Amino acid sequence: MNPYVPILVIGAIGFGFAIISVVAGYLTGPRRYNRAKAEAYECGIEPTPPAAGGGRFPIKYFLTAMLFIIFDIEIVFLYPWAVSFDQLGLFGIVEMFLFILTVFVAYTYVWRRGGLEWD
Amino acid sequence: MPTPKIEYGILAPVLVVLAAAVLAVLVEAFVSRRYRYVVQTTLSFAAIALGLFTVILNKDVSGRFAEGSVAVDGVTIVLQGTILIFALLGLLLIAERGFQSFTAQASTLPGSADEQRALASGLQQTEVFPLTLFAVGGALLFPAANDLITLFVALEVLSLPLYLMAGLSQRRRLLSQEAGLKYFLLGAFSSAFFLFGSAFLYGYAGTTTFDGIKLQITTSPGNDLFLLVGLAMLTVGLLFKVSAAPFHSWTPDVYQGAPTPITAFMAAVTKVAAFGAFLRIFYTTIGGMVWTWRPIIIAISILTMAIGTIIAIAQKDVKRVLAYSAIAHSGFLLTGIVAFNKSGVGATLLYLLTYGFTTLGTFAIVTLVRDAGGEVTDLNRWSGLGKRSPLIAGIFTLFLLALAGIPLTSGFVGKFAIFSAAYESGNISVVIAGVLASAVAAFFYIRIVVLMYFNDPQEDGTSVVIPSPVTAITIGVCAVATLVLGVFPQPVINAVNSLAMFVAG
Amino acid sequence: MSLDNYLYLSALLFTIGAAGVLIRRNAIVVFMCIELMLNASNLAFVTFARMNGSIDGQLFAFFTMVVAACEVVVGLAIIVTIYRSRRSASVDDARLLKL
Repeated sequence: MNPYVPILVIGAIGFGFAIISVVAGYLTGPRRYNRAKAEAYECGIEPTPPAAGGGRFPIKYFLTAMLFIIFDIEIVFLYPWAVSFDQLGLFGIVEMFLFILTVFVAYTYVWRRGGLEWD
Repeated sequence: MPTPKIEYGILAPVLVVLAAAVLAVLVEAFVSRRYRYVVQTTLSFAAIALGLFTVILNKDVSGRFAEGSVAVDGVTIVLQGTILIFALLGLLLIAERGFQSFTAQASTLPGSADEQRALASGLQQTEVFPLTLFAVGGALLFPAANDLITLFVALEVLSLPLYLMAGLSQRRRLLSQEAGLKYFLLGAFSSAFFLFGSAFLYGYAGTTTFDGIKLQITTSPGNDLFLLVGLAMLTVGLLFKVSAAPFHSWTPDVYQGAPTPITAFMAAVTKVAAFGAFLRIFYTTIGGMVWTWRPIIIAISILTMAIGTIIAIAQKDVKRVLAYSAIAHSGFLLTGIVAFNKSGVGATLLYLLTYGFTTLGTFAIVTLVRDAGGEVTDLNRWSGLGKRSPLIAGIFTLFLLALAGIPLTSGFVGKFAIFSAAYESGNISVVIAGVLASAVAAFFYIRIVVLMYFNDPQEDGTSVVIPSPVTAITIGVCAVATLVLGVFPQPVINAVNSLAMFVAG
Repeated sequence: MSLDNYLYLSALLFTIGAAGVLIRRNAIVVFMCIELMLNASNLAFVTFARMNGSIDGQLFAFFTMVVAACEVVVGLAIIVTIYRSRRSASVDDARLLKL
């Protein structure tokens, strides 16, 4: 079998998933229009006018950004593991499970302490 | 590719403490406020005790584990045992509830309504327990590391919680936050040097394991540029951690600003861990280059002793005096590195053991001298303490004499061992400097004793509070250890010397 | 191109970072300079990994990245707390702890 066939297959699956999600959302989702819907960005900050306090970002962004960085960077360890996990066997799976478990412990701490709430 | 092998049983001391730290984070998340303190203290003490138990189980182990990245041998066992004992005593001080040493909520503004509310509702700082456990885990791994990566990760796991813990004080919060900032900025600066040095050592040897670097040094003589650059920068990072001059300037500020229980913990535990790593690297990894590094370490040792003792004389704050005394003791400990012989290893380990008990006890007593606003650290207000509470002043005197190295205290035993090891190796200069520095240092220790006993007490509300059981136990254990190690040290000396062997290269 | 040039670049970046730590006064900028030093080390690591033909250096670079991220989180938390209590992040203003 051509080694590129699995890549094609996974590409097709990904593409199909995207299309099915969009179509399913279009067909089944409720439609309630309001002002927020019509704005340029549904989420995130409005480009104009500048926020109160001379265009500074509220401190809440700090927490969110920090949490993002931590969880984002932890994933870096998944790359070398992903390259060689078939050779590492059960050991690799157990160790990676333990690693992800500790990351989730941090996540539950953040969640329980209200770090994910905006207000 | 064969599956990597991890010897969980032999790494158990580190793993148990770190697992307990992770568990403690979950406790913070899920246990209700009312029970958190009880659960956290139980968990922490259990983890440290279990860690100590596993260290004892390992006592005959000698070898390299976890794919050669961790070396567990007699030296590691002694150091890990010492760290865990000091962690236990430090935790007792941290667990003291009567003094409100820690701010209830570190994120509230000093003097704000939020802070008042947090205080009024009786919030307890319990996050300090997981932080302590993480620091202990890093400290346990640091002297055992046999690989640059492990060494770096252990260094950071040890340091990062300490940066935060330094800023947690309830009284004088601005001061405490400032201590945290300074500790963090300078610590991160030094770890950048450490990292750059590691990069060049890796470039020199082509591997990050200590064994590989050692092999490269012995097989290819000559001073390679990469090797020298790498070594110099790695040493800077380590010297910062042990607060040796000229990288000592953070020590007085951090010791003064941090909550006193944290200072006690930090002074004892990080010193043991950092000197443990120092010993392993200088005795085994780069032992082949002793003629290159010895003159430098001699110079730094003498400079550190001089700065520590001379500046300490001018201090007016008891915590700063003790911080400069800690710097001077780093200088004394460096003579054990200079010795570079069999007795040097045992002497350094013994010195660390004696010093840790004494310094923990001293800071424990500092937490007891208080007025309405919290701890009194101004030395002038300590005058006449001996008349007001003779017992506490007596124990404090014992600790000061031990720090000065007066015979019949543990300090003398440690100093004698370390100076005779350096003398044996023929480095007389450092021994002379050490004895001179000890004589000068005795002056300011005795000055405090005179202040306590021969000056009149001031009527300004300063008093010695009756310690609760946890603090009393700490002071008691430290005092007994200081006395016993001074009067009857031979069993401990024999035990340490019989274990003080690095795993064969 | 010779691999040495990467080492020169790395040493240069490290020096710029170290100089910045010593010269700049804003704690955030000082901290950014420290991050620059860490990244210079990373560059040295991957260069040496290439020169030595071993993968350890790349592995070390991963660990450095993660540790640097943890340092950012801890450091910014401390700096933001300081800023909130005194409306200034200047390291020169942090001088309560002087003799």
